[in-house]
Amino acid sequence: MRSRKFLGMHVRFWREAEIILLLVLLCVFFLLDLMSGSVPVSLSQSIPALFHPSAADPTIASILYQFRLPKALTAVMAGAALSVAGLQMQTIFRNPVAGPDILGISSGSSLGVAIFVLSAGWIFKGMSLFSLAGSWGIVLAAWLGAGAMMVLVVLLAARLRDLMTVLILGILISSAILAVVGVLQYFSSESSLKSFIVWTMGSLGSTTRDQLWVLVPAVMTGLLLAFLSSKFLDAFLLGENYAKSMGMNLRVAYLLTFASTSILAGSITAFCGPIGFVGIIVPHLARKYFHSSLHSRLIPGTMVLGAVVMLAGDLISQLPGYEMTLPINSVTSLLGIPLVIWIIFQNKKMGAI
Amino acid sequence: MVEDRYLFCKGLSIGYQDRITPSVVVKSNLTIRALRGEMVALLGGNGVGKSTLLRTLAGFQLPLSGELWIHNKPAAEYRADELAREMSFVSTEVVRVAHLTVRELVGLGRYPYTNWFGELNEKDREIISKAIRDVGLSGYEDRQVSRISDGERQRAMIARALAQDTRILVLDEPTAFLDISNKYEIVRILHQLVKEQGKCIIFSTHDLHTALSMADRIWLMLDGEVVEGIPEEIAEKGYFDSLFPGNPQLKFDVDKGDFTFSKNRTGTVRLSASGSTRRMAVKALERLGFEIVEEETDRIAIPKNTAPKITNLPVDSALLSKILSNDLQPVEMNVTQTEQGWSLHLPGFTAEVETLEELCRTIKLLTLPQES
Repeated sequence: MRSRKFLGMHVRFWREAEIILLLVLLCVFFLLDLMSGSVPVSLSQSIPALFHPSAADPTIASILYQFRLPKALTAVMAGAALSVAGLQMQTIFRNPVAGPDILGISSGSSLGVAIFVLSAGWIFKGMSLFSLAGSWGIVLAAWLGAGAMMVLVVLLAARLRDLMTVLILGILISSAILAVVGVLQYFSSESSLKSFIVWTMGSLGSTTRDQLWVLVPAVMTGLLLAFLSSKFLDAFLLGENYAKSMGMNLRVAYLLTFASTSILAGSITAFCGPIGFVGIIVPHLARKYFHSSLHSRLIPGTMVLGAVVMLAGDLISQLPGYEMTLPINSVTSLLGIPLVIWIIFQNKKMGAI
Repeated sequence: MVEDRYLFCKGLSIGYQDRITPSVVVKSNLTIRALRGEMVALLGGNGVGKSTLLRTLAGFQLPLSGELWIHNKPAAEYRADELAREMSFVSTEVVRVAHLTVRELVGLGRYPYTNWFGELNEKDREIISKAIRDVGLSGYEDRQVSRISDGERQRAMIARALAQDTRILVLDEPTAFLDISNKYEIVRILHQLVKEQGKCIIFSTHDLHTALSMADRIWLMLDGEVVEGIPEEIAEKGYFDSLFPGNPQLKFDVDKGDFTFSKNRTGTVRLSASGSTRRMAVKALERLGFEIVEEETDRIAIPKNTAPKITNLPVDSALLSKILSNDLQPVEMNVTQTEQGWSLHLPGFTAEVETLEELCRTIKLLTLPQES
């Protein structure tokens, strides 16, 4: 038990302090992310360059504005989006290891993108996938793919009830989708295949400034929907039956949370490719850090913590002191898998989320 | 009268239906009711449809046909959030959520009353505190739901239902998996809620004794029909005997208010003892399968015979086999309390023992088959 009062100060202060500490951490990691890379930029260079780009060294300004800032912003978006999507899925499926990548939601959006990109060669001749219109196309395709997958998984979960079976099905469906994508690649034209391969190699750094104009509003919409669904998610903590008996409108609740999860997971997969394990890990870290399971608290908390974790992952992937950069997905997997194993062991002791 | 009637079913059929398979009727033509300030116990064997009925009442599944009235409106006319203000539900599911305090859990019960973001106002907080007090969990507000005992968790779930502030509370086996002390505590809390707040509490249970002593009304689900009435009437009319049609050895004892397992009778015994010793002896002899035919507290004359006499225990097996080879059957026995302890007489056999335990053991040995 944490003491609820300390030196006469009300608990509310600590509640604020918890999130303020995280926000400070977010700013620090954001700056660190801007500074690190193949060309080191010092703190004294980066801060003035951010606020007065015209007065700064043009090379530094260009590095910051063309590359580092979009990448850091993408990392913040990806971390927040994947973590909140994971939190919602863990609550809805009442499964501590649910996440967009595990249940095949990310593969669903890959399939959407694959169908769009590989058929784009025939339908929209000459359209660049990296233009604004192309970005919207990709992201819409990813949403639809993720949404379809979400509906499929929920239908199966309702029939099966058993958590582990649902996870295995998610993995099976992911494999099936990869196979379908493989077949699509085989039949597609050389140029669209090339665009698709480039897309699959996506990383935090590959997001263009044009794409950011799509990514940021999309993620913001998803997060807003998540905020709106926090009461529904609280009721889901006790299971669907209790939620129903408390008068929850199941249809609205599912619609809102599915839309939110699909938009969040779909958008990130569309622009950054698959990034594993962040969505599973961060909600658990947030519950531990905030000592809470209520979503009015967890959703903002998970959002900020997710952004911090993703920025940290990006910093690690740049291997400070070396010239190379690791793929972000490898970093999150290597750090994430031991944590998932820890969660499974914790869960044996403690029961569900 | 209508105001008083919180729940009413007429010709209700319950079961499962979906678009693909033909509907499965679990029970049909149910006519039952539950009134204000009543504790209603739903009894029935496993698989007879208790949970299906409770799920139908709580609105988790639709009735196949018939009428279901909640308070003064047909259930079908309620919106989900309206129904949640009339009826709350506690299921058998064990809720294990880490990092959720008792206060937060109970607070979820305010769901039908709070705004879109679930924010609690001063009135909500008061109702939550009262619900926690009502189930005797004061001081547990900040404890984690995953770290309290099963009995405390069940009380917290009841507090959550109370916070929903409904006329009707439906509980599916609220005392299952609990020890006697926790069981008693739950039933006491429910009884108090009925008495002090006039709630209507419907609960399913396998604990016949509790149901008969605490419930105002019983819904007894039998194989073919559902019988409704006050406990005494249901017991007196012998409905409980048909509760377990597959097991004719289970007989309901109206006086004891519970089932007794009728054993094959070994024999009869004339018992001579008094006071609490006699009570103990009667129970022990009945347990061993004997019927007490004569209950006299005076000494009865001990028939003299030339039978072998055992005065020491343990009875050695050689002597025992000797007894049994005489085809000695303890069909009719005399058991007498003496100054030294107990004496046991049956035709051809006499034993003097010091304690009741030794007496039981001697009778047991007489009735056991011989070791091969």
